[in-house]
Amino acid sequence: MSDKVYDLAQLEELGGGDAEFVSMMVMTFLEHTPGQLEELKNAHGSGDLATMGAIAHKIKPNVDMFGISAIVQDIRDLEQMGKNGISNAETAEKLDKVDKELTIAFEQLKQL
Amino acid sequence: MSLMKIFLVEDSIPYAKFLSYHLGLNPDNEVEHFSDAKSFLAQLHRGPDCVLLDYSLPDSTGIQVLKRIKAQQPDLPILIVSGQEDVGTAVDLLREGAYDYIVKDENAKDRIWKALNNIRENAQLRKELDVLREEVNLKYDFSNIIGGSPGIKKVFKLIEKASQTNINVSITGETGTGKELVAKAIHYNSRFRNKPLVSINIAAIPAELLESELFGHEKGAFTGAASKRIGKFEEADGGTIFLDEIGEMDINLQAKLLRVLQEKEVTRLGSNRPLKFNARVLVATHRDLKEEVRLGKFREDLYYRLLGLPIELPPLRERAGDIMMLAKHFLNEFIKDNGFSAIRISPEAQQRILSYPWPGNVRELKAVMELAAVLSDNGVLEEKDLNFNSVSDEIDTLVSEGLSLKEYNRRLIEHFLRKNDNNVVEVAKKLEIGKSTLYRMLKNNEIKIN
Repeated sequence: MSDKVYDLAQLEELGGGDAEFVSMMVMTFLEHTPGQLEELKNAHGSGDLATMGAIAHKIKPNVDMFGISAIVQDIRDLEQMGKNGISNAETAEKLDKVDKELTIAFEQLKQL
Repeated sequence: MSLMKIFLVEDSIPYAKFLSYHLGLNPDNEVEHFSDAKSFLAQLHRGPDCVLLDYSLPDSTGIQVLKRIKAQQPDLPILIVSGQEDVGTAVDLLREGAYDYIVKDENAKDRIWKALNNIRENAQLRKELDVLREEVNLKYDFSNIIGGSPGIKKVFKLIEKASQTNINVSITGETGTGKELVAKAIHYNSRFRNKPLVSINIAAIPAELLESELFGHEKGAFTGAASKRIGKFEEADGGTIFLDEIGEMDINLQAKLLRVLQEKEVTRLGSNRPLKFNARVLVATHRDLKEEVRLGKFREDLYYRLLGLPIELPPLRERAGDIMMLAKHFLNEFIKDNGFSAIRISPEAQQRILSYPWPGNVRELKAVMELAAVLSDNGVLEEKDLNFNSVSDEIDTLVSEGLSLKEYNRRLIEHFLRKNDNNVVEVAKKLEIGKSTLYRMLKNNEIKIN
């Protein structure tokens, strides 16, 4: 198993040792975020950049909450690119990175 | 507010759960979550105490929802929680009435927590203020002014008329007839009731200080003006200013007051910048102002400017039917306030109360009844318990106390000040001492105004 791509420190601090809360947050994340990631990729694929930006905006606080630090900036960049209607090689590259990191995070969090 | 009902409008389920958990750590918070604007707006009528609103919702933007909330509940505090920091949007939202704009970063939950605590404290203070206002309104409700004589009924009618408009009102009547009570009844029953009522007794302020008291002064405007001070007119802006004993105002200052009332602006001493004000003016005097105008002591133009709706309070001796009603009222109030058992008034005492001329009017009646309640025995107030506050009686008592000359002076002057509505000029005249001596004694706290 590779190193953890997430960090639950913020959630654990908030939960104050309440493992049930952290577990509930993980389940909610796993329930909603994979669907949002699919929507993000589809929006990019169909050239609907406004929707891509809006979905990146929604994923952003989850990335922050779960401490997925490798893509903290990329998800923000995708949001801005979507808003500004920019789609180029850099967009695809960032989307690919977000996709990979989130997919790893999903797998790792499922093991908890 | 004990329980705070918070409506959380957030389409990110993980973030909503995160915030709900965090806010739920305070047992006084009750959080209800909505995923979109439509479902939230449908429930707005249920009256949340606060709304946490995500700026980007699937079916609307924060500003659109904010406008709809404000149209229905303008005072409801709304915290906008946004995924991005955008100063322009934040300014727009705050301008539209948002309570705060919070970015979803690592500090968001703490800022929300703090903002909710502030909202809770403000709501608590507002509630306390409302209770106090209500108490004051009830206290000065004119149904609380006692009396059914034709003279006082006429006064009730005039108070009611005065309360419905912003016309200036001039209240006249002998000392102790309740001029200040009428001024308060007018203010607290008018549409200005939630604004300040600022009262000033013209007779109690040395003439040389009165101008700065009324109109304020800038720092260094005169010797002793160590800091800026706003005047009574500025203080009363939006509400009511009550100028008691207006007949005692120096003729030179009368000219300045007239100008202030005409222009509806005041200029602080030492400043040349006029400041607009909007306050309703009530005045009172125990003098016959028309006569004062005739004698050249009061400006005719100011008289007409202030006259507005004249209310003349009848002296107690002309309210025969009210005397016993008031006597019993004051007695019962005193009994209630001091936890006494019931006291009845003997027929002889009643006869004495009704036959006495009450030169000090209602104020004197109240004082006599309170003292009588203290002196009475076995639940009956007898004629012997009634001590009328004539000057000679009080002086006899005073002499028997064996005080120092300084103390006698203090007691005597304070007695005359009480008797004359704190009118320094009048007291100086009666006691044949310089009014500057009295002002100096007041300033040095050698005598006190009650």
